[in-house]
Amino acid sequence: MSSTLVLSMMFISLLILLLSGMPLAFVLALLAILFTIVLWGADALVLTVLQTFDAMSSDILLAIPLYVLMASVLQRSGIIEALYRAMELWFRRLPGGLAVGTVAICTVMAAMTGIVGAAVAAMGILALPSMLQRGYDQRLALGTICAGGTLGILIPPSIITIVYASTAQVSVGKMFAAGIVPGMFLAGLYILYIVSRALIQPKLAPRQTGEKAKLSEMLGSLKSLVLPVLIVFSVLGSIYAGIATPTEAAAVGVVGALVSAAFQRQLTVKNLTAASMDTLRVTTMIMWITIGAKIFVSIFTGTGGADSLLQFIQDLEMNRWLVLISMMVVLIFLGLFLDEIGIILLCVPVFLPIITAFQFDPIWFGVLFLITAQMGYITPPFGYTLFYIKGVLPPNIGMGTVYRAIVPFLILQLIALIVFMLYPDIVTWLPEQLTQKVRS
Amino acid sequence: MDVLLGYCRFITALNRWVATLVSAFVFIMVAVISYEVVSRYFFDAPTTWAMELATLLFGPYFLLAGPYLLHTAGHVNVDILYRKLPNRWAGFVDCITYSLIVVVTLVFIDQSLPVALNAFNSGETSFTSWNPPIWPVKALIPVAFFLLLLQALAEIILAVQRVQGQKVDV
Repeated sequence: MSSTLVLSMMFISLLILLLSGMPLAFVLALLAILFTIVLWGADALVLTVLQTFDAMSSDILLAIPLYVLMASVLQRSGIIEALYRAMELWFRRLPGGLAVGTVAICTVMAAMTGIVGAAVAAMGILALPSMLQRGYDQRLALGTICAGGTLGILIPPSIITIVYASTAQVSVGKMFAAGIVPGMFLAGLYILYIVSRALIQPKLAPRQTGEKAKLSEMLGSLKSLVLPVLIVFSVLGSIYAGIATPTEAAAVGVVGALVSAAFQRQLTVKNLTAASMDTLRVTTMIMWITIGAKIFVSIFTGTGGADSLLQFIQDLEMNRWLVLISMMVVLIFLGLFLDEIGIILLCVPVFLPIITAFQFDPIWFGVLFLITAQMGYITPPFGYTLFYIKGVLPPNIGMGTVYRAIVPFLILQLIALIVFMLYPDIVTWLPEQLTQKVRS
Repeated sequence: MDVLLGYCRFITALNRWVATLVSAFVFIMVAVISYEVVSRYFFDAPTTWAMELATLLFGPYFLLAGPYLLHTAGHVNVDILYRKLPNRWAGFVDCITYSLIVVVTLVFIDQSLPVALNAFNSGETSFTSWNPPIWPVKALIPVAFFLLLLQALAEIILAVQRVQGQKVDV
């Protein structure tokens, strides 16, 4: 069978089976088994075990449960509520202040957790009612929460970044560094948009009147920031000072989170059990997809599918930027239907040889990839953010409002994507500064 | 009928218990990795075993939780069409998808059992400086997929109940 035919058959059957509602992990494993038998015979099935064992032995992916646990413990220690109170005091007098503050908290949470659901759910509970009560425009409030929540994908430590780095075989530390500036850039873009809308149409975000908060009160509220910021800096700092690998830094971060929870008197058996069950759920979900995807992809590369695709694209003699843009379009399109972890595990092994053949930087490409993942997270029908926001939506607001609310933010993400494509230095500058010291 | 439902309850309870047990592994991983960092950085005495022990625990950690995640529908799926189906039809589709999962588990058990037995019989070790035996981890692959097989069978029974219009909680 020609490998182009195999490629198209694999992806068509993948889409059909997925629509049945069968879990992605098992769809991938099932198809991989079928294609192995057809292409190589039943003897080659031992591949399933080899790939499973390979996933089990990854000390890079081992970082996933550690970062998730750190996030879950911090989340349960009452830090987010304290942060929210601080934000209200500091930002409420700015134009669009509560929305600006929501982006600010999402940025801090992104650096603490890297899990999109956490920020969206927390802001849906805390910031949404408070913004609506003050007469904020529903769309502005919802769009801010959805888009702000996805900042965790870019800003380190991020679970999706770890999966990308492990699949693309680039350094996790460098990938983390590459996400910092683009993440801040996006947050800045959101804030700029909110402030200008609030200035042009003041009734979208009514200014807070009332008396000014006391300076002592404002400074006092910052206490809640100290421990989480310390933890984040010690995690990232130990990676970039070359003291610890990203996996080791995660374990140290967990210890820091436990200490922080103990200070807040939230280190209870109930909280720990809930945090460890959350961690198990997220990790298991990701790792089972990883197993399925590894087997699936190994067949695709084993039959020479990746090589022939590369050959095909090189024969087209397209401009390399056109190739890159086509890949971005494919990724954004897949993001509408597929889980982002699945997209990384399936597409990176196929796309990366093309990226290197056209002399693009895999780390820079990773950041572009993560931005398309952010877009995937907030676009229907398969956007995680939308599921989370649905759970906390007041009954008088329908999902249609949410869909319209995300449009301006989607455009901002697209702008950021284009800016990073045109000016790769924004992305690559920081990781290059840190090249020497990082332990891989 | 009661026997079948009893089976579903027993298997789900068993897998829930296994998942709860392995959920504690993450604290062991944190402890040994932190120990490694402290002893390397502060006492200049890196261990040979800490990182490897943590990695050895990682596989069992997520593999053994897979079956319970199947019961709680925690594995990611695309439900654009599925969630629009009436209950009975959803039960019917579930019967098919869980049967396909049974096929997957059978292949994995069939393939991993000889690999595990081989590792046990030859006393295979990891060929690192710590060099622990590797068969316990390899043996967990067929065990995890056997538990997944039992859970998938239980889910088929529950799906058949849904097709017949009965609602059963396990």
